Amino acid sequence: MRNRGRTAFIVTYLAPAALLYGVFVIWPVLQAIGFSLFKWSGLSSKKTFVGLDNFKQLFHDSVFWEALLHNAWIFVFGGGAILIVGIAVAHGTQGEGRLTKVLRSVYLFPNIMSLVVVAILWEFVYDPHIGLVTSLTNLFGGSHASAPGAVVQNTSILGNPAKALPAVIITFVWFSVGFYIMLFSAGIRQIPQEVAEASKLDGAEGLFRFRKITLPLLWSVGRISVIYLVINTLNVFALVFLMTQGGPDRKTEVMLTYLYEQAFVNSDYGAATALAMANFVIVMAVSGVVLRLTRKDPSGAVQ
Amino acid sequence: MKTHLSAFSAALAATGLLLTGCSGGSSEGNAGGGGNGKDLEVVSFQGGFGIDFFKQAATEYESKHPGVHIKVSGGPRVWEQLRPRFANGTPPGLTWPGWGMDYWALIYDNQVFPLDDALKTPPYDGKGTWKDTFDPSLLKLGEYQGKQYELPYHYNIMGWWYNPDTFTKHGWTVPKTFKDLLDLAPKIKAAGMAPITYQGMYPDYTIKGFLFPWVISVGGIKAADDAQSLVPGAWKSAAFLKAAQMIKQLRDSGFFEDGADGLSHTQSQTDFLQGKAAMIPCGTWLESEMRKTMPPGAKMAFMLPPVVDGGAGDPSAIMIGIEPWIIPTAGPNHDLAIDFYKYMTSVDKAKQFITQCGTLTAIKGSDQITLPPLLVEPARLFRESKTVYSIQFDTWYSTLGTESKNAMAALLNGSNTPEEFVDRLEAAAEKVRQDKSKPVHTMTH
Repeated sequence: MRNRGRTAFIVTYLAPAALLYGVFVIWPVLQAIGFSLFKWSGLSSKKTFVGLDNFKQLFHDSVFWEALLHNAWIFVFGGGAILIVGIAVAHGTQGEGRLTKVLRSVYLFPNIMSLVVVAILWEFVYDPHIGLVTSLTNLFGGSHASAPGAVVQNTSILGNPAKALPAVIITFVWFSVGFYIMLFSAGIRQIPQEVAEASKLDGAEGLFRFRKITLPLLWSVGRISVIYLVINTLNVFALVFLMTQGGPDRKTEVMLTYLYEQAFVNSDYGAATALAMANFVIVMAVSGVVLRLTRKDPSGAVQ
Repeated sequence: MKTHLSAFSAALAATGLLLTGCSGGSSEGNAGGGGNGKDLEVVSFQGGFGIDFFKQAATEYESKHPGVHIKVSGGPRVWEQLRPRFANGTPPGLTWPGWGMDYWALIYDNQVFPLDDALKTPPYDGKGTWKDTFDPSLLKLGEYQGKQYELPYHYNIMGWWYNPDTFTKHGWTVPKTFKDLLDLAPKIKAAGMAPITYQGMYPDYTIKGFLFPWVISVGGIKAADDAQSLVPGAWKSAAFLKAAQMIKQLRDSGFFEDGADGLSHTQSQTDFLQGKAAMIPCGTWLESEMRKTMPPGAKMAFMLPPVVDGGAGDPSAIMIGIEPWIIPTAGPNHDLAIDFYKYMTSVDKAKQFITQCGTLTAIKGSDQITLPPLLVEPARLFRESKTVYSIQFDTWYSTLGTESKNAMAALLNGSNTPEEFVDRLEAAAEKVRQDKSKPVHTMTH
């Protein structure tokens, strides 16, 4: 009797969430799996079953692999920079000085801006004529190329096949890092006061204390951050789409900009959903690997 | 942001469903289109011209036809709201879905109502047939397998722009030929300006502004038609190679604005208007696009891209483009949609559109008014041209369109040679030829 009441209670309270989750998460995913087996323009009810053809094509599509590689670069370099800067700034802004207080409110600014604004802002930063980067280059000895008689000099950044992706990665770091600083700051503040004091009494100072005490105790926060980074770098879309459209000549193409192209330029929803499925599996797999690799917490806490 | 957007679009889709629900929409694609004959929903792309003109036309039409109710709505990315409506069979009665819509995919899926019968009926305000009121060179762009699916309203002319004041001040003459251009460019550079800038981030502009005009100038219109019709070898013909070499020559001589390969359309157009560059390729929409940010005193005038000396092509060749309207097969009240569109295409309304929106229309005789100053020259060149052509391969074959843009970016930033450039184009064309799932189009003159 009592048990049944308990079950009813649990079911009643879980039902709304389960229903919402089912309708808005599970069902669309199942639907997407379904779509990926069809040739479909996404513009009518006319669908042709093609089995795994969309996946076969995706597997042989060099653009997809190029895009995936760019996602990987963004994860490695962008994610790496975010982790380093995030931990360093979080560590450096723990004091109660006026400057650190100001800094603590400043670092989140980019993160609360709309991505559209961020993209436009950085388009200006990279502008070959009035941009900050060009101005700095000129200041430090680079010549302004528009001078009479100047030979052709490529001052473009977003149009340069070698510089465009690094430029996008820098913008990505600038936009995202505030969130990770916040995560690490919270993590540092959670380190028990006793541990910090004990280590100080034992004479652990500066970098040594950071390396031996702070860093290991930040392990679980770091783990979460890396998972976030996997998701955010493999799913990057708006920034690239707005800044470079994946160009020049696909040098900044990422998985989701290519997905957009397949769905809305090529009207090939089957191919687009197959790509979405692949993206989903890759995100899950990489996250799984990260969790597995970071399972052993050097601070000895059980995960 | 993502959740916001999807909630927003869900709300929009729901509104759309309700609206067609109200109008008694039937999704039967029969000749009459179903519906009660009284309600019409018009969905229009909302760009530089806005949608006020169409709203005003709807109000006028309503007052002339008691009982009829027309709702006009629009948005700058309206195709995103229209896609799901087409997919679930509840499109509006009449629409200009904008440049982001894949019109041809809609046509292949029988989602667009053919208008051949309607075009045989009399126009709103004159004699003859409705078909006769359209400029034939513009009307034919909406044909597929002998049927008329898309109707033009306004059209754009593609060419180059220059600042007449700057040219007068320095005593420069507008280059008519490529040789003129090569002679003039060093003088422009000496005056501290870049001879030419371009919208590097969107290579579409340079395909239409440099590549095709010079392909046609070198090899005649057939060279371009063959390429658009996917004739084997056409994309790597001598004409394409020569045109690519001309682009490379301008680049290597330093005649393009430095860094133009990384500029967006607004950045490069602003540079042009600020006098950092003397010329820029762009369509007749340039003024309406830049009106709000135009520096005071900035002037511009239209010119045809310089032609190749001794080339086989017609020097009067001119590139145009339409942004078509369609009547969705599944939309309700086809007859009302047709009649309202007929009203908009009456000469009086078309003239009004030119004055109000500052762009030319496809309706014959609509340019017999005092045209906005910047349209006078392009309109004259269009009237006098013996070869009017349009670029359609990029919408017919989207993968070839994308590859041509990518290859153009690579040519302009120097990572592809002209030979590599044409090889890439031909390879992409070959891929489309192999893909039997895409219908083949042909273009002739």
